[in-house]
Amino acid sequence: MSPGLRRVIASLGIVAVLAVLLYWLSVYGSSFWQGLAINLGMFLILVVSLNLFNGFTGVFSLGHIGFMALGAYVAAILTLPIASKQAYLPNLPGWLAGLSLDGMVGPFPVGFLFATVIAASLVALLAFGVGLVLMRLSGHYVAVATLGFLIIVRVTLFNADTFTRGSRTFSNITAYTDLWWVYGWAVLAIYVVWRLKFSAFGRAMAAQREDRWAAQSVGIATMPPRLLAFVVSAFFTAVAGALYAHFITSMSPNVFYFDLTFRVITMLVLGGLGSVSGSIVGTVIIVGLAEALRRIEDVTLFYGMSNIIIAVILLFLIIFRRQGLLGQRELNLAWLFGKSTSPSNKENKQP
Amino acid sequence: MKVRIIALLAVSVLLLAACAPAGSSQTAAPAAESAAAPAADTIKIGGGFALTGDESVLDLPAANGAKLAAKEINAAGGALGKPIDFIVHDSQYKMDVTAQTAKQFVEEDKVIGLIGYTDTDSVLAAGPTIQKAGIPFLTAGGTSPKIPAQVGDMMFLAAFGDNVQAAAGAEYGVNNFGKSAYLLYDKGVEYTTLLGDYFKTAFVDLGGTIVLEDSYDDDTTDFSAQIAKVKALPEQPSFYYVAAMPYNVGTVVKQFRDAGLTGPIIGGDGYDDPSWIAAAGEAANNVFFSTHALNDATAGSDAYKKFFAAYSTEYGHAPENAFAALGYDSVYLFVDALERAGSTDAQAIKKALEETKGFPGITGAITFTPDQHVPQKGVTIIALKDGKYTLGAEIVPTKIPAP
Repeated sequence: MSPGLRRVIASLGIVAVLAVLLYWLSVYGSSFWQGLAINLGMFLILVVSLNLFNGFTGVFSLGHIGFMALGAYVAAILTLPIASKQAYLPNLPGWLAGLSLDGMVGPFPVGFLFATVIAASLVALLAFGVGLVLMRLSGHYVAVATLGFLIIVRVTLFNADTFTRGSRTFSNITAYTDLWWVYGWAVLAIYVVWRLKFSAFGRAMAAQREDRWAAQSVGIATMPPRLLAFVVSAFFTAVAGALYAHFITSMSPNVFYFDLTFRVITMLVLGGLGSVSGSIVGTVIIVGLAEALRRIEDVTLFYGMSNIIIAVILLFLIIFRRQGLLGQRELNLAWLFGKSTSPSNKENKQP
Repeated sequence: MKVRIIALLAVSVLLLAACAPAGSSQTAAPAAESAAAPAADTIKIGGGFALTGDESVLDLPAANGAKLAAKEINAAGGALGKPIDFIVHDSQYKMDVTAQTAKQFVEEDKVIGLIGYTDTDSVLAAGPTIQKAGIPFLTAGGTSPKIPAQVGDMMFLAAFGDNVQAAAGAEYGVNNFGKSAYLLYDKGVEYTTLLGDYFKTAFVDLGGTIVLEDSYDDDTTDFSAQIAKVKALPEQPSFYYVAAMPYNVGTVVKQFRDAGLTGPIIGGDGYDDPSWIAAAGEAANNVFFSTHALNDATAGSDAYKKFFAAYSTEYGHAPENAFAALGYDSVYLFVDALERAGSTDAQAIKKALEETKGFPGITGAITFTPDQHVPQKGVTIIALKDGKYTLGAEIVPTKIPAP
């Protein structure tokens, strides 16, 4: 068996195991554990897609939650049943007021799929426009500028009350999101990001991250790979937003702000900037830890402890292991088959 | 470098969220344990509150009030002859956690009803799960009158709707100051936006005129732009209606007074936070607001005085605001319905809640009907005098705007 074939089989094997787990959970699990798994899946999408930008290009975005907010609102407006639209969004322009993507083909909510794809595509288009300007910046300036973007999105959502109900809670969204939707998108996001990392674009991203001048001197432009990373990560972040809206079924612009931004960044930094499997590990650890600590809080009545402990862990991480748990390396799939090396995994040794 | 800075930012945000309530939650801790005596046969009632995060200013007093009520009921023999197990989960003011804790209440704790939350976001995040499970959900402090329509028929409010308190404010203004008003509201929050809207409807209905309407963003700290417009009015209105969040009230009022605008200011229950009043000093004179009860050790009704004393003994400090009383009332209201229902059957409790007539809460008499899950309560108007709460009026508004 060639190493390539082995990797394909290993990946398919993992997806199959995941599918069995999901099936088991969706049939026998309580809706609490299903909900926890759905939250985990949404954070996986958020962290992996943020990693595509923050980890691979070396410039930091603090504004991705803004894309999530837009994805959530656009998709929710598209799928909101017409009766609810009349009740809660009475001033929508005619073409939007009469449109509701709540069609089903059998048990499959095809309207939700369209709404998610439309929302994410629109957001990706916006990210392209924003990226054309912001990706010219470098270093800390990108972080500050994207933070500005997040604030602009929030203010816009507050003021576009014809479409968003402004500060009032946007509610009565149909609960389409289930385990299959979330993990379907999560697997797709992970696959795309993984492929991008080891594509020519991914190597160009890594090259300009490590040394912009050296990369440019050998003909690798900074802009195209960065912009691609920005747009693709915005797309998947918006998908996570759409999934969120159709899971919780209500939201207000306050949800998509600093708190969520830093929860995602904590998971990203813990796992390791630049490592796809690291993102997965970091997300699983933080989501699991937050849930475990929440349960301990209920018993000890020391509310707020989970935040303190996670903050302290993050502090120690930054002091003693700044690159995160995995750094830029990937967990090796080949060890499953007893081989120690995989060709795709050598070049990422980082000082 | 970069990662380090951003991680430090993340750490500080996390710690901020954790710290906000830490001081008060510690004093709250011992009480909860005694309230919940997990026996084999108990009546389990869920208490969902954001004990940490921004909303904890209101949720923590509400949770403490509710726990106090559960403890008192247990001391008096419980409900239906069994002790109450009041189970509290912290929703952290995160909507995904709120939705999860709602599922936990239903599936793991198997509660017969849920009491909690003081904001619309949290109620709507928990609502669908509770509605689907078919158990009653009584929000202690959510005041949007639209909530029952948004969640479903198992949803009840313990507080009056914002339309009622806005109407009371309008009526108080018309009766005491006159028929012209200036309206300012915070457009970044649902509560203040609704309140401003309802005030306008009620005031115009009473024959009043809004001479100028203005708004500001939630994080505004400088109100000079709004104030300049007020000062440019040819004639000052009879009073100013300012719908503001607790963290903005002090700043708005102070800046109005500093600019020489000394007319009466009327607001909603967001003003019910003693800390800004102390900080504002003299500026807080001639300020009036609608709220759920007069939170004072001596001036309130006898029942309220009793609650005030019990709360102070239990937690070592006075009730922070009227939301403590709302939490307290919610539990008694629920248990009253439970006793009348005679069983823990959800539909029976719901029916009993709907038959509640003139329940004597410390925040006012509560009445529900099958199509009215927002209680028609009297509204307390507080007049601030030299940093003290005094009773302005008790109003049952006549003209209430539709939700």
